[in-house]
Amino acid sequence: MKKIDALIVVTDQGGCALTPGGPIIGKWRQARLDVISRVPSSGITRSPSSYANCSHALKMLSVVARAGTVSPYLRAACLAVAGPLSAVSPAAVVKKDTVLLDANKPLLCGHCARTGPTVSSRLNAVAGVRFAHTDIRVPDFSVYRRPEVMDPKKSAQDSSDARKVFSYLMTGSTAVLGVYAAKTVVTQFISSMSASADVLALSKIEIKLSDIPEGKNMTFKWRGKPLFVRHRTEKEIATEASVNLSELRDPQHDKDRVTNPKWVIVIGVCTHLGCVPIANAGEYGGYYCPCHGSHYDASGRIRKGPAPLNLEVPYYEFPDDETVIVG
Amino acid sequence: MGIFSNGQNEMTYLFWTTRRDSINNHSLRKEQMTNHYAKSGTFRTKLNQMLFPPRCYGLWAEDEKNAFVGEPVLLSLRRSQATVSYAQSILGASEAQLSTLDNGLRIASEETDHATCTVGLWISVGSRYESEKNNGAGFFLEHLAFKGTKKHSQSALEQAVESMGAHLSTYTSREHTAYYMKTLAKDLPKAVELLSEVVQSSSLSEAEIEQQRGVVLRELEEVEGSLSDVCLDLLHSTAFQGTPLSHSVLGPSENARTFTRQHLVEYINSHYKAPRMVLAAAGGVNHADLVGLAKQYFSGVSFEYQGDAVPVLHPCRFTGSEIRYRDDAMPLAHVAIAVEGAGAANPDVVPLMVANAIIGSYDLTFGGGMNLSSPLARRAAELSLCNSYEAFHTTYSDTGLMGIYFVTDKHKIEDMMHWAQNAWMNVCTTVTESDVARGKNALKASLIGQLNGTTPICDDIGRHILNYGRRIPLAEWDARIDAVTPKVLRDVCIKYIYDKCPAVSAVGPIEQLPDYNRMRSAMYWLRF
Repeated sequence: MKKIDALIVVTDQGGCALTPGGPIIGKWRQARLDVISRVPSSGITRSPSSYANCSHALKMLSVVARAGTVSPYLRAACLAVAGPLSAVSPAAVVKKDTVLLDANKPLLCGHCARTGPTVSSRLNAVAGVRFAHTDIRVPDFSVYRRPEVMDPKKSAQDSSDARKVFSYLMTGSTAVLGVYAAKTVVTQFISSMSASADVLALSKIEIKLSDIPEGKNMTFKWRGKPLFVRHRTEKEIATEASVNLSELRDPQHDKDRVTNPKWVIVIGVCTHLGCVPIANAGEYGGYYCPCHGSHYDASGRIRKGPAPLNLEVPYYEFPDDETVIVG
Repeated sequence: MGIFSNGQNEMTYLFWTTRRDSINNHSLRKEQMTNHYAKSGTFRTKLNQMLFPPRCYGLWAEDEKNAFVGEPVLLSLRRSQATVSYAQSILGASEAQLSTLDNGLRIASEETDHATCTVGLWISVGSRYESEKNNGAGFFLEHLAFKGTKKHSQSALEQAVESMGAHLSTYTSREHTAYYMKTLAKDLPKAVELLSEVVQSSSLSEAEIEQQRGVVLRELEEVEGSLSDVCLDLLHSTAFQGTPLSHSVLGPSENARTFTRQHLVEYINSHYKAPRMVLAAAGGVNHADLVGLAKQYFSGVSFEYQGDAVPVLHPCRFTGSEIRYRDDAMPLAHVAIAVEGAGAANPDVVPLMVANAIIGSYDLTFGGGMNLSSPLARRAAELSLCNSYEAFHTTYSDTGLMGIYFVTDKHKIEDMMHWAQNAWMNVCTTVTESDVARGKNALKASLIGQLNGTTPICDDIGRHILNYGRRIPLAEWDARIDAVTPKVLRDVCIKYIYDKCPAVSAVGPIEQLPDYNRMRSAMYWLRF
């Protein structure tokens, strides 16, 4: 029997270090520990550890001596787990009368000053304090298991690939859908900053062509600018078609400027400095800009004057013969 | 011809001869070797110095002697002229002989010319064969093994053993139990007799059971101090949860408190059957003698099960999981992370062992520092990542646990885990030719170096017969190890490690241990 000066630290399940119910009053208690004696030279020996060929080293309980305070740290990291039902005695002699605790140390969880380490009970109803790590029961997680791994007698390797593929597939598709949803939300928010419907509605104009008599030019407000819609006579059409392109400052054949030769649709903004030309004026039977004297013909092309380019032709289409939508 | 000794009857250190046949190579012991140099010229000069190209040595002087020994020509073992090469010695290692008795008990022995021998009984029973109710029976039985048999009381047994100067030992693991005796070769018959009694007719007295109960309980307490055992036991309990492999060999304290003689007798009757036993021996034993002794003492071992209840080993499901036993009062954290490995008979075992050899192990006492060969060890030394780590691979008959176990300070856990898993990723993806060569050499050296006595050899024989049905010779191990190339290694490691759910167990101040999902994510690389 060896007598060893020892500090035995008792831990409960909460992981708090408890001092044993016995007091350490300023000096170390003599603890008797029955050790399994080794007979190394000859005779009968046992290898009590569970692992083959590993020698059972007697753990030396080392003394950490600091006067007056109880240090929970052991050099050799040796712990004894005690249950109140057994076994710390005779390992440690517990003195029941006065318990002197270090005033600086807060009472550790589960520690009752009078009785020492408390019994903790667990929901699994295997009652009592854990005596050794072999008493720890891993709970049954069958509720969470996939069907392929419910059977403990079947190796999990066979289904491993299938399970992984399923998980990754689910994750991958969720990610794709999530990204798509995020993109949708973000674009919705950002596109809320773009033009509103009423503004967009202004971007097109629908014109009833039967309102415009032949030879006449009508002006509409479109996108903040004047829009000229001219119903041309046959004579005007013929004249414009036969104009020699080399005479033109901005050469464009009439048929390039109109979809339907009967209708000329141009933006009524002079290409010189932006005034609005007057319809049915000027020397060429088209438009005349009064600001600086630019003459446009019936096709809206510049013939005379300071303007450099022909009147701009916007995009338009004829959904039927009676209407045109510009823009 | 010269013999370097003082002329007294001393051991010859160097036997020098010009005649090739004057030395019988087969009489050489393990620690002796011959160097054979042809075409050596004159050996003695006039002054009686050794003439050995390129210079002469006067061997009476200490410094000349040292220079002679360190002579590069002498040291260079030119293969064509050296008598025993590595390959030859591997092939020449003695083989184990195997026989079987009528009741199915196998006998295997390897004869070496030691004057001692180790003989023992290896039984394929362990905690894996136990149920929840009788978990710990094997361990309890181990305590009672040497407390007397029907023919010898405890003191008589001890007397018999000690008078021979023998050692009688036993161990229990999850799949094997062994009772073995180390003794002089000439005491083999007595040894086998005692072993047969211990195994077949242990007395198991009630008084002794009660006494040992207290011892077992105290031992359960004491093993709590061996945190590496606690950590690895917890690893098994979580990795193989719900299966018999999760049982610790020690068994829960509840069982230890309640075992009766009946439990133990039932245990023996269900598991100590001849087809599951191997009588193994190594040392100065003659196989025929051993078979005769076995026939004499072990013919009575039963080979039938009551009610045909043959215990079948089902596969054990591995569960990627973790168990955390946090206690901030402990000074160091013990952490183990493992994946499911290969079973003992699986050919993948060899590449996995090579991978572990590449990862290696480390301890604060290693002096290599930045020059250690394993990259993880270098990191550990450089960044003071841990007190120690080791890569382990525990094999069972159809499954295994391959992992890394480390002990570290509470502030280094996360870093160490990161680098340990990084080492795994390296071995799966970027392992190089030189790493593999180094790992193979280290593995070969350790496999061969372990067999350094009759007891390790006997243990090897016993376990091999139980695991494989035959003793795997060193030459075969060598060939299997040589067959591992970087590509093979990567493929095998990817199969077992890459993107697999690990089992983690941790004991101590483990607040810093990362969340399981993070450790799981570190089992693959996005860059790969």
